[in-house]
Amino acid sequence: MQPFAFSTAPLEPERYRQSLSDPTAGGYASFEGWVRNHNEGRSVRHLEYEAFESLAVKEGARIVQEAIARYGVLSAACVHRVGDLAIGEMAVWVGVSSRHRAEAFAACRYIIDEVKHRVPIWKKEHYVDGDSGWVNCERCAQPGEASNAHGSAAEHDADPLHHHDHATHDHHHHPHPAPGGHAVATQTPYTADYSRQMALPQVGPEGQARLQSASVLVIGAGGLGVPVLQYLAAAGVGTLTIMDGDRIEASNLHRQPLYGAADVGQPKALVAAARLVALNPGLRIEAVAEHATRHNLQARIAACDLVVECTDNFAAKFLVNDAAVHNGRAAVFASVHQYEGQLQVYRPRADWPCLRCLWPQAPQDGLVGNCAQAGVLGPVPAVLGAMQAMEALKLLLGIGPDAVPAVHVLDLMQLQWRVLRAQRRADCHHAEKSDQVNPPTMAEEDVMELDFATLGAARESGMMLIDIREGWERDEDEPGMRIDVHVPLSQLLDGRVGLPPAERYLIVCAHGVRSLALAEYLRRQGIRSAYSLRGGLANITA
Amino acid sequence: MSSRDIEINYFAILREQAGRATERRVTAATTAGDLYEEVRVAHSLTLPRTLLKVAVNDEFCEWSQTLQSGDRVVFIPPVAGG
Repeated sequence: MQPFAFSTAPLEPERYRQSLSDPTAGGYASFEGWVRNHNEGRSVRHLEYEAFESLAVKEGARIVQEAIARYGVLSAACVHRVGDLAIGEMAVWVGVSSRHRAEAFAACRYIIDEVKHRVPIWKKEHYVDGDSGWVNCERCAQPGEASNAHGSAAEHDADPLHHHDHATHDHHHHPHPAPGGHAVATQTPYTADYSRQMALPQVGPEGQARLQSASVLVIGAGGLGVPVLQYLAAAGVGTLTIMDGDRIEASNLHRQPLYGAADVGQPKALVAAARLVALNPGLRIEAVAEHATRHNLQARIAACDLVVECTDNFAAKFLVNDAAVHNGRAAVFASVHQYEGQLQVYRPRADWPCLRCLWPQAPQDGLVGNCAQAGVLGPVPAVLGAMQAMEALKLLLGIGPDAVPAVHVLDLMQLQWRVLRAQRRADCHHAEKSDQVNPPTMAEEDVMELDFATLGAARESGMMLIDIREGWERDEDEPGMRIDVHVPLSQLLDGRVGLPPAERYLIVCAHGVRSLALAEYLRRQGIRSAYSLRGGLANITA
Repeated sequence: MSSRDIEINYFAILREQAGRATERRVTAATTAGDLYEEVRVAHSLTLPRTLLKVAVNDEFCEWSQTLQSGDRVVFIPPVAGG
């Protein structure tokens, strides 16, 4: 017989038993789970089981094979009932034949415990009072419940499903249970309970199974990424990949409360992964402590179902856009500025606009917005991140109204939400051109930033120094720090000031962010020898 | 010369520089681009329009979009904070 199967008809333990018979076997152990007539004080009239079968059969077969290998038994099998069951009916059967009884019991126990943990099966209880509700099968392992352990095969225990035992549920992972058989919190195996979201008619067991089998790539584990990761992990998205090359800084914590004071200095991706494992131990979580680059992104986006973009820079957003378009993956983008946020979903559809349809010239970091940190209140990225998580879940579940492409602009100061409809641009390259798949970001090969020991040394370099700060920024300069050529960034950007392309320029600002962006911008305009003073005036003496 | 009564919304750095989120403006500007040039001078906005988007009546459009009295115009730069 199949190692693991579902049956819509009543189970036939006698027939299954015969299929396991073997002349070399010295014994056979079996376990039956039955439908009981009450749960948590409510009278149960009948039960309905539903499974995500293609996934469940594979996982169930894997468990049976593991039991055979682990305990050296001769053969084993498991059959689970689906559909409508009356009180007293058999919900699950496990059988093992082996040379000796000890392995038979152990393997039988292993199979039923693992099936309850790992196989996506849900039950809907119909109560005598007419109410009903979906219940995760694996309620047994919730923290705080006492142990009644040590069940023998085919016992009749106290829960609606008779294969319902407690602290030693996961005994093979915890060979030393607490004295007296009572589990302490760290030893109590935990199984997620999604009943409150499965109660939604748009979710249900099938939706939960979709989430379980989904793989989501989250790029950026900061203010936006933290709520995205927390809610996707909590919802049971089966595989999460966290990409972030930053380390946690004290200044992050006001808007990234997944982290704590003791985490400062640690890589974000790794700490986030550890917290998510603690939140929902059943998930597959991968931490990639790298920034997204043209090299490390393509394969990861191709391998996921959906990407959620949570970084704080345009270069990454457009890298993600292009890779998502190229690989036909949906992407959920968001960004914030002070009290505002923007949310945009990309769907891989022929009529849907990408980020480049909206912004044909990918904005450069440092050109738009303040050089100084703009400042933000923690709930602003939290709101936008929660919206990204919501959009991600809708996409994974395939629910929601007919979507209209738009940029959602939220103003949390005024409590206003504007929906600005966007259209696919006929002349947009999306990611069809190879150079669009990997757009130039901050030039990686060319030297664009220069270091000088002093401002005097920079002056002697033969380059023309241009101070691009706004006028008010120059008011507090020391006399020796004054740069004669002063053209504010805004005037250089709008073409009001033309620069001879053959000259060599050293662009200078306060911290080297705007100057680097402008140097790259000028090079694109054909001024090949435009450089930025690394670190800006804050980093140099007269 | 005809004039139009337009409601304008500013976002992100434009809001900061304009010192307001919204304004009503009676303008002789006939296109979205002309209107931006007008408010850019009036409020000393630093961003050239190549770095922004404009939406008229909640729909992104070209700078050549003509304006009618009663239109709602949004000027919005991309933002990247996260």
